[in-house]
Amino acid sequence: MPYTIPIGPYHPALEEPYKLSVRCVGETVQQAKIEIGVTCRVIELLVQKREWVPAVTLIERVCGICSNVHAMTFCRAAEQIAGIEVPARARYIRTIIAELERMHSHLLWAGVAAECIGFHTLFMEIYALREQVMDLLETISGNRVNYGMNRIGGVNRDIPDPAPLIAATQAMAEPIERDIVPAFMNNPTATRRMSGIGPLSKEHAIEWGVVGPMARASGLEIDIRADRPYNAYQELGFKIVTQQAGDVQARVVVRALEMLESVRLVTEALRTIPSGPLRAFEGMPRIPPGEGFAVTEGPRGEAFYYVASDGGTTPTRVKIRTPSFVNVPALEVMIVGQQFSDMPLIQASTDPCVACIDR
Amino acid sequence: MGTSHTAEADLSRTVLAARLAAIPGSAEAEEHGDALWIVAPQLDVEAMAREMTALGCRLITMTGLAREDAETTIIYHYCLRQQYVSFKTCTRGGAIASITPTLRMASWIEREIHDFFGVQFVGHPNLVPLLRPPGLKDGFFREAGPRSTPPEQD
Repeated sequence: MPYTIPIGPYHPALEEPYKLSVRCVGETVQQAKIEIGVTCRVIELLVQKREWVPAVTLIERVCGICSNVHAMTFCRAAEQIAGIEVPARARYIRTIIAELERMHSHLLWAGVAAECIGFHTLFMEIYALREQVMDLLETISGNRVNYGMNRIGGVNRDIPDPAPLIAATQAMAEPIERDIVPAFMNNPTATRRMSGIGPLSKEHAIEWGVVGPMARASGLEIDIRADRPYNAYQELGFKIVTQQAGDVQARVVVRALEMLESVRLVTEALRTIPSGPLRAFEGMPRIPPGEGFAVTEGPRGEAFYYVASDGGTTPTRVKIRTPSFVNVPALEVMIVGQQFSDMPLIQASTDPCVACIDR
Repeated sequence: MGTSHTAEADLSRTVLAARLAAIPGSAEAEEHGDALWIVAPQLDVEAMAREMTALGCRLITMTGLAREDAETTIIYHYCLRQQYVSFKTCTRGGAIASITPTLRMASWIEREIHDFFGVQFVGHPNLVPLLRPPGLKDGFFREAGPRSTPPEQD
């Protein structure tokens, strides 16, 4: 006899509030219904009532983890409408912040995954390492969460002395390579808990339109940094990380290996950052009538912003499509036939950002 | 449904533009920024969804924009690897065909636009509120937002 168990919207197994209604037969999951909207702040509407500068500040608060990618993508869309060319130094600084943000987001998620499988030692190792990334972000921006680095036309702050940051960034490669990647790939405890769990085939990944590490863990070679290079990715080069298994372990491994690529990108960007101005213009931005969109690769995948302007002081329309908005629905297919006890791990493997989904 | 990256690579921009123009109700594609834009008020969106799926294109999202004439402009943003394609069309009598039966991932997107702009997506299997906060009516963006756009030139 099937029965339904509600998980959430507030539940210890969920990092943020949303609701899963899970139908089971015995311990086997047959179906899950997902309900969102608990934390809807209607930011798309609010931002249309703010001038272009405070709009960036509000947009940065769509998400607490990938705040930078939202502000950056919004700025890129506005810059496209206005035909603003961002100076090279600003593009490099945007790249550095974006990759540090990816590292701290992936480390946060890896810690959650370690905790989900009861691997507390690994959780502590990962979170200690994440603090080093947070220290770097704080050193550069003065902030740990909302960095306030982006402005339309460039960046707000410089990185005047890259040398100590290079050493600090490189120092993180070793623990990732030595401890984190092998722990998730080879440790018997991790393998038994994650291998074959929550599968998403390549065909289902396409059908459900998933993006980011979830797509790449199912064998899809999609990454905006490679497909449509922006910021300094063209100059720095970029290697896509993929796995074929499409299970929880593959998602962990993709994120772990992506951290190493981020270390390389940050190091290289700090080494080769060109001199020059930080912004294309001083003063308030003037965005002419028009529309445009920008797409960037956030930690959870592709973030999309459509922006329209009538030439006034505020945007007339801002549409935000966050990666979690397309990744989380795929849970409906990933959980079929899985054990109920694996639900916390499977849903966590999508790296769901509910603040992003609800906006 | 499947995406072949080899097929994508072989699909020239000219061939792509021709296939997009052949969709019922479509129009000639224009380059705008780094994307192809097709402004087609009478677009057959179900045919569009089938053709884009056949081409291996991925739907990124859909954008709704309130219009002065109480209709809603809908933009379908697609991506074919390194090429973006946006179809801009509009509702007719506040409604438009749902593409969810063809493209499962469109379900949440259409539900969100229904919440924000009150658009009826005809044929959607489950057009219930997704994000709309309790106490607000369908289309609350249209009522709360001071801005709307003039209708596209048909």
